[in-house]
Amino acid sequence: MFLIKLSLKNLMRHKRRTMITAAIIAWAIFFYITFDSFLLGMNDLVFQNIIDYEYGHVQVANSSYWENKDELPLKNLMFNNEEINKKLTEIRNYKAHAPQINFQLRLSDGINETPVMGKGISPQETLNVLNYEDYIVEGRIFQAGERKAVIGKRLADIMKLELHDYVTLLTRTKSETFNTIDAEIGGIINTPNPTINQNIVLLPLDVVQDTLSVDNMVTHFIVRLDDQNFAPQIVEEFNNELQGMDRNLSVYSWRNLDEVSITQAKQSGNNFILFIVLTIAAIGIINIVILAALERMEEIGMMKAMGLKEREIILSFVLESTGIGVLGGIFGCILGAISVYFFSLYGLDFAAFVDIDMSTFGVPLISKIYGTWNPDAFINMFLFAVFGSMLASILPARWAAKKDPVQAIYKR
Amino acid sequence: MSLLVLKNVKKIYHQGVINVPALKGVELIVEKGEFTTVFGPSGSGKTTLLNVIGCLDKPTEGEIYFTGDNIADLDKRYLAEIRRKNIGFVFQSYNLIPVLTAYENVEFAIKILKNISSREIKKRVFKMLELVGLQGLENRKPNELSGGQKQRVAIARSLVKKPKLVLADEPTANLDSKTGEDVLKIMLEMNEELKTTFLFSTHDPLVMDYAQRKIELKDGQITRDERREELDVFN
Ligand SMILES: Nc1ncnc2c1ncn2[C@@H]1O[C@H](COP(=O)(O)OP(=O)(O)OP(=O)(O)O)[C@@H](O)[C@H]1O
Ligand SMILES: [Mg+2]
Repeated sequence: MFLIKLSLKNLMRHKRRTMITAAIIAWAIFFYITFDSFLLGMNDLVFQNIIDYEYGHVQVANSSYWENKDELPLKNLMFNNEEINKKLTEIRNYKAHAPQINFQLRLSDGINETPVMGKGISPQETLNVLNYEDYIVEGRIFQAGERKAVIGKRLADIMKLELHDYVTLLTRTKSETFNTIDAEIGGIINTPNPTINQNIVLLPLDVVQDTLSVDNMVTHFIVRLDDQNFAPQIVEEFNNELQGMDRNLSVYSWRNLDEVSITQAKQSGNNFILFIVLTIAAIGIINIVILAALERMEEIGMMKAMGLKEREIILSFVLESTGIGVLGGIFGCILGAISVYFFSLYGLDFAAFVDIDMSTFGVPLISKIYGTWNPDAFINMFLFAVFGSMLASILPARWAAKKDPVQAIYKR
Repeated sequence: MSLLVLKNVKKIYHQGVINVPALKGVELIVEKGEFTTVFGPSGSGKTTLLNVIGCLDKPTEGEIYFTGDNIADLDKRYLAEIRRKNIGFVFQSYNLIPVLTAYENVEFAIKILKNISSREIKKRVFKMLELVGLQGLENRKPNELSGGQKQRVAIARSLVKKPKLVLADEPTANLDSKTGEDVLKIMLEMNEELKTTFLFSTHDPLVMDYAQRKIELKDGQITRDERREELDVFN
């Protein structure tokens, strides 16, 4: 108890020095929290882009199809019948749904050819689920039965295609025979989602079903809810109900999306900053303990003469440093909170700062990034500051406590 | 049983390749309640002797019996334990803790002992400060006290745990002669009042005269040891 009191008083001894060290720690925490919030914001944006232009909130598919969906198989499809369409409307918080077929496609303009993903969509229903309407920059979306395609702006640029050009689309049917669709480019779409812009050709569902000879089947349904946060719950609730109808079907939430490259970038970026934060805090603390020990040599000697044990002297320094860590942690979290508050309110036009193509991360340059609150970051950084300061002080405190009392008192 | 018995105590400092003998076979017996000074020229080994007796330093050779036990070869943890309970120190430069008040500085020495109730602690600290004439100044920080007052806090601190022995290395060296004498008088009063054994070193002949027993140290050896029965300093 007495040592705690002594440490607190020592903490206030050089208010400026204490404050500067605490400020360094606080700054490091502030930086981490802001960066973390930014990356999370970027992450959210990526998910939002996937939800709004590709995925919807939940999807329904045959679970065997789902396992291999990346290979775009035409096996384990599901019927697009009245029963399933009715069932989907019964989902809690339901807003809209649409059937889709994803399939392999090669796009050719007669000279060049490129592999893309074909998407057979029923136009009206799809526009209720995905946010295509505002992003068709040329032409319009097709009607059912029209031999028209909508392609991404970037794909159009790469293939040097323009509205009303004709393209040949080569695909394999369900029975593995080749078939082609000749289609006119009826629309060009430019969404904030780079996948849609670059890799996808949208076609009317009925035309696709006909070409692939899959009758009235689709690969999956996409569903929009009135609140995306319900998706995981709905997956749990609705799965049983759905499987009562067809055991092979399952519901999947956007939450189950593989967190792609962005998450890894986030992790390594965060770890790097964390490392810097800890190093800065440790250097600050080690520095302050050594300074304090040098300046208090005679006191340390006196304490030893009074019979204090080494570990009691170590403890008094460690408590003092921990106090600095607590101060730094509190200030850092306050600064971080202020920064995240403004950042989440006003956002940051990332393109204005950095001139790199973020589309590889799935982050479109046209969007502003808004900060995201992450309570874990606050808690973790606070604990890191406190325990980091504590640990960093142990070695220099030991060094101080081990001083020979005679040398310490007589400054020999 | 004598409080302190030194047998053939030697201390050699190693300065690089040179050996500096600071104590060259000291023989000394100190009884309970004595008020003894160690004097002698600079470099004669006074500080070294007090530190060796006070368990702050270990002798190179010889035996030191403190309350009957040989402490010369003890591990530093045991030495710390002995200092904590039984030995009080006063140094030339006071060595008070600047962030603590006079009261807290004294309290520190007793707080680190176990099994003393906080009421008892409070009583003893106030009593001690009163005995050294500092009542009313309990809440002053060291930088708000004069040199003599600081040294009195240091004396109170060394005595509050009721040690068997108080070692004071040149306690008056930083004080003017009047203040130095006052400090010595206080020490002597404490010796009479509490029966605490004092051993202090000094250069100052005025200060020496307060001692009952004078030990002269020269070149690491005791060259004189005289006692006087009657003290007339209070007259
Ligand atoms: N750590 C040390 N290393 C080397 N020599 C030392 C050390 N401490 C003391 N000495 C030497 O030991 C001798 C005795 O020193 P000590 O400090 O005990 O003398 P002193 O009588 O207290 O002197 P003063 O009156 O100046 O305080 C001196 O020659 C001193 O130089
Ligand atoms: Mg000396």
